[in-house]
Amino acid sequence: MSKNPHNKPAAKRTPVHKAAPAKEQKQRKPLILPILPLFFLLTWAWAAIYYGDVFRIARENSFWVASPEQMKFILDQSYGGLWYIGRLALQLFRYPIIGGMFFAGILAASSWLLGYSMRLTPRWRWIQYIPALFYIGYTTSVGLNLFFEAETGRILGIPLLAFAILLIWGVIIKSFSKKATPSFVRIPKDETPRQNYLQLGVCILGLAGSISFTQIYRPYVPVISKMMVGQINQDWDGMQKTARANADLSYRAIAAYYAMALVQTDQVGERVYDIRLDYDTLHVVGWDNCYNNGNSIYFPEGNYYAGLVETSYHYAFEKLVMNGPCAHGLRMMIKCALMRNEWPLAEKYLRILKQVPFEGDFCEKYGAMVRNPKLVNADPEMANIRQLEPVDDSFENLYQQPTFMGYNLRLFKARSINAWKNSLAVCLYTKLMPDFLQRLQPLSGSIPPENFADGILLMTNKYPELEKMFNGLDFRATRLGGFMQEIQPYLKDRPGFAKELFPKYKGYYPYYYFFGNLKATKKREPQQQTSNSGVN
Amino acid sequence: MKSFIHSFRKTVPAFGILLFTLFASCQKEARLPENFTEITAKAVLFPDYQDVTIPANIAPLNFMITDSSATEYVVHFQSKAPSSDQLLAGGGEDGKIMIDSTQWRNLLTASKGQKIAVSVYGNRPSGWVKFKDYNLHVAEEPIDPYLSYRLIEPGYELYRQLGLYQRNLTNWDVHTIYENNRTYEEKNNHCINCHNYKSYSTQDMLFHVRANHGGTIVIQNGKAKKVQIKDSTIITAGVYPSWHPTKDLVAFSTNKTGQTFHLYHPEKIEVMDEASDLLLYNPGKNEVKHILRTRNDMETFPNWSPDGKTLYYCNCELNKVLDLETMPDSMIAREIALRYNLIKYSLKKVDFDPQTQTFGEPQMVVDAPAKGKSITLPRVSPDGRYVLYTEGDYGQFHIWHKSSDLWVKDLQADTCYALKPANSKDVDSYHTWSSNGRWIVFSSRRDDGNYTRPYIAYFDKNGKARKAFMLPHEDPEYTLLLLRSYNVPELTTDAVTIPASELRECIYDGDGEKAKYTK
Repeated sequence: MSKNPHNKPAAKRTPVHKAAPAKEQKQRKPLILPILPLFFLLTWAWAAIYYGDVFRIARENSFWVASPEQMKFILDQSYGGLWYIGRLALQLFRYPIIGGMFFAGILAASSWLLGYSMRLTPRWRWIQYIPALFYIGYTTSVGLNLFFEAETGRILGIPLLAFAILLIWGVIIKSFSKKATPSFVRIPKDETPRQNYLQLGVCILGLAGSISFTQIYRPYVPVISKMMVGQINQDWDGMQKTARANADLSYRAIAAYYAMALVQTDQVGERVYDIRLDYDTLHVVGWDNCYNNGNSIYFPEGNYYAGLVETSYHYAFEKLVMNGPCAHGLRMMIKCALMRNEWPLAEKYLRILKQVPFEGDFCEKYGAMVRNPKLVNADPEMANIRQLEPVDDSFENLYQQPTFMGYNLRLFKARSINAWKNSLAVCLYTKLMPDFLQRLQPLSGSIPPENFADGILLMTNKYPELEKMFNGLDFRATRLGGFMQEIQPYLKDRPGFAKELFPKYKGYYPYYYFFGNLKATKKREPQQQTSNSGVN
Repeated sequence: MKSFIHSFRKTVPAFGILLFTLFASCQKEARLPENFTEITAKAVLFPDYQDVTIPANIAPLNFMITDSSATEYVVHFQSKAPSSDQLLAGGGEDGKIMIDSTQWRNLLTASKGQKIAVSVYGNRPSGWVKFKDYNLHVAEEPIDPYLSYRLIEPGYELYRQLGLYQRNLTNWDVHTIYENNRTYEEKNNHCINCHNYKSYSTQDMLFHVRANHGGTIVIQNGKAKKVQIKDSTIITAGVYPSWHPTKDLVAFSTNKTGQTFHLYHPEKIEVMDEASDLLLYNPGKNEVKHILRTRNDMETFPNWSPDGKTLYYCNCELNKVLDLETMPDSMIAREIALRYNLIKYSLKKVDFDPQTQTFGEPQMVVDAPAKGKSITLPRVSPDGRYVLYTEGDYGQFHIWHKSSDLWVKDLQADTCYALKPANSKDVDSYHTWSSNGRWIVFSSRRDDGNYTRPYIAYFDKNGKARKAFMLPHEDPEYTLLLLRSYNVPELTTDAVTIPASELRECIYDGDGEKAKYTK
């Protein structure tokens, strides 16, 4: 401390009073921060709050049980043991606060060990944070591929391996060195403020860089993950809020989860167009190392919440085949088995899921349904889905994909008015107005939901009798008239003006009809590879 | 680094086994309770091994007892043979009864042709109870010691990791015949199926590889070769095989198969052919020719009689369901899908002259469609008297049909009947005979309706089957936790000896020789 140049002038400026020098010296003592604990806290906040849902979904797409026999599919792979440990640690992200603390702890401890093992002087101590920050950057850059068709054991397996290596290295160094081990939590005494702030700057820049990268290049990653967590928690209102708060982000997965929440809250006729539906491309790579449309992320849930339980089971099972079992997939399959009265099958999956850490509550709730099937229809979510189930059997392959859209486009018999509403909503969404009109009869005489009313009004020029079939269209007809006038200048370049007009007409179906989802009609989305399909 | 990971990988399961062994060794020795209350209820066992007929060479029938309140179990096996051998096994709260292999072997050997009485005791909070006794019947005849099968997730379109395995039925050993890629590699991803053996021996065997590295792998004289049984006149390639019992010949069906997924049906999937014919392949000469090639009929699932003079197969008269004269080929698949429950197969046969290698005219054996049913997978018993087949309401892929049951045609008495004691309410399908004709192994979905498990049933001299029992596993919970189906069980008298590495080399090395098509 005595060599600190900041101390000398302070001593010279000391005036008359004797007590003052010590006081002033104390006041002017440069602020040296405990960077390691700060790094730990910042990383914890990043992993638990900003990226917590992403890690949570990675955990949901992972599977870990203690039995080596059941984990053979992982243990038999190269580095299988490491992925086994990594998957175990990932389970902590069932609660992102705990998982984040563990993740941050491993990275902070590894940074500390690196600094110690490399005998980094204060001047170069910032280097010790680089690998950890690099890893955070890598985790960010892969986006949804953190869990989509990827080995989830890597997420914590790699940091744990690095930590283990550094620990061994540190122990070796320690056994040959008499130098004191630097404290993990105390304020370092050998650093100048500049050196100290440089470390802090590196840490803040690294984390801020990762967040900026996500916000600029992968903004959908935390949003989709949050929607997925909402679906798992059946937080339908939360999902809607998230989607609307990110209404400008237009990705199929967001739209799909948003639609699920609307179906569950009976708002499919009113709020679909509150978010932009133009669909930008996700950055997702499949097992085949080719860019993937990522649709399989939401296919099981999409079909389930559309009442197509068999199709949901189909896609959940395909995911199991390709990615191995996972907690979320097993939960979907349990729900499907219960909905289809397959009690022994539900029991089998529950037996497996029960071995996964933190799945006790789910197993207890749905295990009770196996023992008392009446509880299935008493469950609000399942009761809603029951109303949407098909009336008759047919084959999935006969419908346009995805099935939850194709099936609803050809729905002619339904168990409930909600099933009709879903069908009408899909017809509107696909802009297949003749199909929409064909299915309007069950709503005749009522005040139709906003989007349906606007859809009807769009067709009244051609079919004036429609106006007599429904009540409460007058006000909306006036608005439509104004809208049609306002958009005239923009009709020449609809794709060009679509985004610009969205904030003004958010939630208004006629806007979507003229300006929304135009790409879908021009260019086909990349199709998922099916070369590895066959009759099994 | 690699060695560290490798040793770590090895260590984790080993540590588990060590813990298990320590735990097992700490378990107290089973003792018959001195005081107990007899109750009339039977113990609930998984798998259900009560009152079954078993071969003397089968591995211990370990099982789990499910009782709502018992915390400890004792099972007493008492042979009814003059030697009166007995065996005690105990279990804890999890209800798992693990039987000592040596004692089990001695007990079964001493009880051949006799019964073993089994008493189950459970320690409930109110004290020990004795459940209703049951018997195990030990047959005189052994079962072929090796069962090969494919392990694969049941159904669906995609596949990733799968393999062919061989289980030694006399113990717990499982040998990997061949496994495809463990981790996903797009360029190497392939499926394997339809393993088949000549006369219950692995000396001549084959299986197919589909997708990348595709072809048929034929193994003879310890050597594997890849062939392409394809031709412009052949619908796809060789599919369902049957080795001729004496000649170097294999009958194949060639099928154009597709599958579709139900939207609201308990059977989930329907697998349908839109065309199929029969082929005769000579592995020695690598030559193939048609046995039957028709547009109006779909012929499939060939199976030779043990004398090699008759070929049985299943036949669907497609022109009875579709107007094939006016229908373009491109429409057939869709139309079949729309009428899938009208597609029905009968059992037919053609005579074969092994000397001239010529076939006679097709003859009806069982006209199942006449009674509204559909037959698949004929398998002739080793004595040539019975044809074992699966009968269901429609279609040819009965593994997805809950109506499917095992039936036999007694060729001597000209009668057909269901093997009721062996059948279940759920799917009972793909089946194989043991070489002595006294055992059948088949795939059943009776446990959960989705995952097939091999079941073994005794087939007595009068042509009657006994209650079937599940293939035993060291850990009786194993199948409850397994997310894969046992597919195509085949019994053999000897083990597959060709190393998996050699098969891999054969599969990966080139496209294989194309079979020469002859008329």
